[in-house]
Amino acid sequence: MSARTRLGGYAGRSLDVDLSKRTCKSVPLRRQFALTYLGGQGFASRLLYDFVGPEVDPLSPGNVLILSTGPFTGTLWPQASRFVVAAKSPLTGIFGEAHSAGHWGPELKFAGFDFIVLHGRAKSPAYLFIDDGKAALLDAKDFWGHNTQETTDMIKEAQGDSTVRVACIGQAGEKLVRFAAVINDYDRAAARSGMGAVAGSKQLKAIAVRGSQDIPVAKPDRYLAVLEELHHKMLGSPFTASRAAYGTTNLVELMQEIGRLPTNNMRSGVFSGYRKISGETIKEKYLVKPRADFACLQRCGRYTLVRTGPYAYCGGGPEYESQAALGSRCGNDNVESVLYGHHLCNLYGLDTISTGATISWAMECWDQGLLKAADTGGVKLNWGNHESIVQLIHLIARREGFGNVLAEGSYRAAEALGRGTEQFVMHSKRQEIAGQEPRAQKSMGLAAATAARGADHLYAFPVLDEVGFDKEIGIRYGKQYLPEIGDRLNPKYKGVMVKENEDFCAVVESLGVCKYGTLIPPVLFYEDVVAAFDVTVGVPLTVADFRRIGERIVNLNRCFNVREGIRRKDDTLPPRLTKVPAPEGPSKGQVVELEQMLDEYYAQRGWHKHEGLPTRNTLHRLGLDDTAKDLARRDITLPAST
Amino acid sequence: MRRFLHADPTVCVGCRICELVCSLHWEKTLNPKKARIRVRRVDPGLDVVVACRNCDEAWCIEACPEEALRRNQQGIIVVDKAKCKGCSACVEACPFGAIFLNPETGKATKCVACGFCTRFCPVNTLQILTPEELATLKQQKVIRHECASLLDDLRSERHNQGGEA
Repeated sequence: MSARTRLGGYAGRSLDVDLSKRTCKSVPLRRQFALTYLGGQGFASRLLYDFVGPEVDPLSPGNVLILSTGPFTGTLWPQASRFVVAAKSPLTGIFGEAHSAGHWGPELKFAGFDFIVLHGRAKSPAYLFIDDGKAALLDAKDFWGHNTQETTDMIKEAQGDSTVRVACIGQAGEKLVRFAAVINDYDRAAARSGMGAVAGSKQLKAIAVRGSQDIPVAKPDRYLAVLEELHHKMLGSPFTASRAAYGTTNLVELMQEIGRLPTNNMRSGVFSGYRKISGETIKEKYLVKPRADFACLQRCGRYTLVRTGPYAYCGGGPEYESQAALGSRCGNDNVESVLYGHHLCNLYGLDTISTGATISWAMECWDQGLLKAADTGGVKLNWGNHESIVQLIHLIARREGFGNVLAEGSYRAAEALGRGTEQFVMHSKRQEIAGQEPRAQKSMGLAAATAARGADHLYAFPVLDEVGFDKEIGIRYGKQYLPEIGDRLNPKYKGVMVKENEDFCAVVESLGVCKYGTLIPPVLFYEDVVAAFDVTVGVPLTVADFRRIGERIVNLNRCFNVREGIRRKDDTLPPRLTKVPAPEGPSKGQVVELEQMLDEYYAQRGWHKHEGLPTRNTLHRLGLDDTAKDLARRDITLPAST
Repeated sequence: MRRFLHADPTVCVGCRICELVCSLHWEKTLNPKKARIRVRRVDPGLDVVVACRNCDEAWCIEACPEEALRRNQQGIIVVDKAKCKGCSACVEACPFGAIFLNPETGKATKCVACGFCTRFCPVNTLQILTPEELATLKQQKVIRHECASLLDDLRSERHNQGGEA
């Protein structure tokens, strides 16, 4: 690519690392690739499809680990700090990805690279150091066995520079806990689907980055004016003040109000002890200050302190998901244990959602008499036993005792135990459902069932039907779907909402920006992306172009999963959520009408509803004929049309 | 009176938008290492904006063997890029680490208190201040903090009196 045609926004190169051969190769970014898949999740989707077939075990050297930014990462777009970590997931066995913020992603671009692809497996613990266009694999034996905070400090010290940015794994990733996270900048987590375990399987302890290179701007004379306008829009939203005050912690109160706060392993959506773990409590007693990730106006990051007692610590977090997972979901109203548990998960490198969900599954099994002290090594698992929750976090991360069973995730743990414990696993495609009790919000149920990485609230992030966003719903989905689409208990038109959101989320995650500001509050939308992309990258893509790119990425992810055997039968929720009426609270009597919503969703997608397969017509329209051919070659016959 | 860029490290959230805006304004690109300021995170809980204070006794000016640094009529220390050889004597001399070498040109660069970044600060803590103004600001903060209970008492007393009247 000549200097004249260099795209703005992108660093313009990627790094290809072979851990087995200990080689690092810098590769120019192809313009066509960039404009077809954008960046971030889009890059990861294409690369994963091309590199990792169904024959590859997620924890084998054949899996690839991808870390990718997008063209807006490190720019002035409001909340432009994001990057994706992707691989085939050891938790789900299918498409795996996790997203994080902080300062690591922007620094990777300042160091000269848009993304990194890691192949193979190092012979001994190693870390990758990327310094201004140069990359080297270095010895990490001394860091192995250390938590993420120690590892980060040791690498900064080894490089003699506290401004080096570090993404690393803790003991949980080393021990191949199937829901281990990658932690960057001390307390930011690429948490879900076990990306930390993939790094651990490759004996890759960390990736440290430092850079002083430009992210070029295509139209510098107009850039600031366009971006300043977006800043004003963002700061003008009343949500921004609320985010700054509470982060996401006060979602506990809001979710309690609509009966969507998962309680006692999702038996219920209301928690009597919610006030004790609420955003208000945390703000009053434990918040030191809000913290922002790179170029973030929302500043939902928290810096918190528990002064004394067994749960004393000082550090980042928490956010709503951790409060729900380690709090209400486990029937736990001891807020200091929730805060400390979250901190421990960051140190060990664990996904708080799957950690809390797996513990809450065990607690329900205990409650039902299916688990006894003899199974748990004497750990008592009564609801709300905060000492046991904290103890189990240690045991899981170290794979000690009963922790070794739970480290497999709730699906595999139940499979191993049997005895009817399977019915209490709150999962889809083997990943634990996050903090949204879907009987109280049907769109979240559909979103969890269709998400490519297994149960997930963020793949579609349908939030506008939570309460009171009818105007924005009209703008984003069409007024013809009102009022049903805005009613969180009504399954109608949720297929429309989830389809549209998945496409837009794919664009957002591929640009390298946050879902706050784009999905909620619904301030920035396709038109803003078009304006910013033009002045940043210098290519006048249209709204229709971006919609098509989003749809392309979602279809490609589906094709990856189809190749792994995923069909409609797997787009499911546990019977508790689809058959057992919610027992209490604002959603009392509700179930998730999943099949009805799925029919609508597949129709919206242009997928065949019997098996949930993308049709050849749909893939052709999205420029994915090569993918359809690959599936045909593997004797997977896609229907021509719906 | 000399002026400089200041931010309260307990209020600053460390978003580094000011670094980006600075590099855009002066260098027409996005690159925090070309910015004339730095935001440093110091835990527990501080985010510190490092920017030149335009000291009255400016060691950087004295240290420069090329006489590339001088104070302009507004009291701001400026770098003459034509004279600067990039020896970094000023970087060594500055007690605050507030002078940097541009990674591309190798020449010294520093905040000249233009104030352009302040309008982008999401928490409105970035300001161009004189030492006197900074002192006043700090006094107000300390007084508010130390006299918080006294002020509360006075307010509630006034409120009660108002209620009875």
